[in-house]
Amino acid sequence: MTTEVLVLYFAKSAELAEVRSENITVPHQVTSLQLWEELVRKHPRLAAIRDQVVLAVHQEYVSLGDELLILHPGDEVAVIPPLSGG
Amino acid sequence: MSRAANDLGSAGLEVEYADMSGCEIAASDIVKLTHDKLSTEEVSASVVCPSCGAVSLFIGITRNSFEGKKVVELEYEAYIPMAQSEMKKICLDVRQKWPSVKHISIHHRLGVVPVAEASVIIAISSPHRSESLEAVKYCIDTLKATVPIWKKEIYETEDYSWKENKECRWAESRQK
Repeated sequence: MTTEVLVLYFAKSAELAEVRSENITVPHQVTSLQLWEELVRKHPRLAAIRDQVVLAVHQEYVSLGDELLILHPGDEVAVIPPLSGG
Repeated sequence: MSRAANDLGSAGLEVEYADMSGCEIAASDIVKLTHDKLSTEEVSASVVCPSCGAVSLFIGITRNSFEGKKVVELEYEAYIPMAQSEMKKICLDVRQKWPSVKHISIHHRLGVVPVAEASVIIAISSPHRSESLEAVKYCIDTLKATVPIWKKEIYETEDYSWKENKECRWAESRQK
């Protein structure tokens, strides 16, 4: 079963993807790594930041790995390069 | 549909807590993201309370150089709703670690911040000074590690680079 989620890109990831936000269709249950790989499939230049990125799902940070995400229609997933606030 | 995550329609967040100190005004957390120039006077006035003998302040200012390159300005962007919720979490942490803290105010500027202007101001009030001094340090250290805000350093040469806080767990400097 698939679901449509909104992906937000920030900072360097927005430059590499050349987009600030987009809707994508993914499986309702997907690991954070699988989700990342889907984003890289659409925007291959994102691969450059693979080791310095996490995702934010439901506004909680998720490292790229085996963590299983349960996604619902309209959920927001953000691509989070290294932070530099303050 | 939902508002874009970089829309500053609701840039401020104020939360009030039940106050146990006997002071008339309830303890509050003020978390604000704005494109406007920050005002130290406004931030410190927002935490002043007659029962507090101390107001501690941190101001983060755009520096004019990095590794010999002349910096013209910084440009900040944020995942606004999550930046607000992460800053709120920092306030909760502060209150757990330093229960006597009264008011907390964190203002972070977004967009272009010219050299010598403030990008972040944190003010905290407490009855005695050691709590607010320690809490302010904790606030800025934790902000740099956890709040989804990013800055681009723009050089005189019109070159730029996205900065990475060493406090951030997934920054390159922290990789094995």
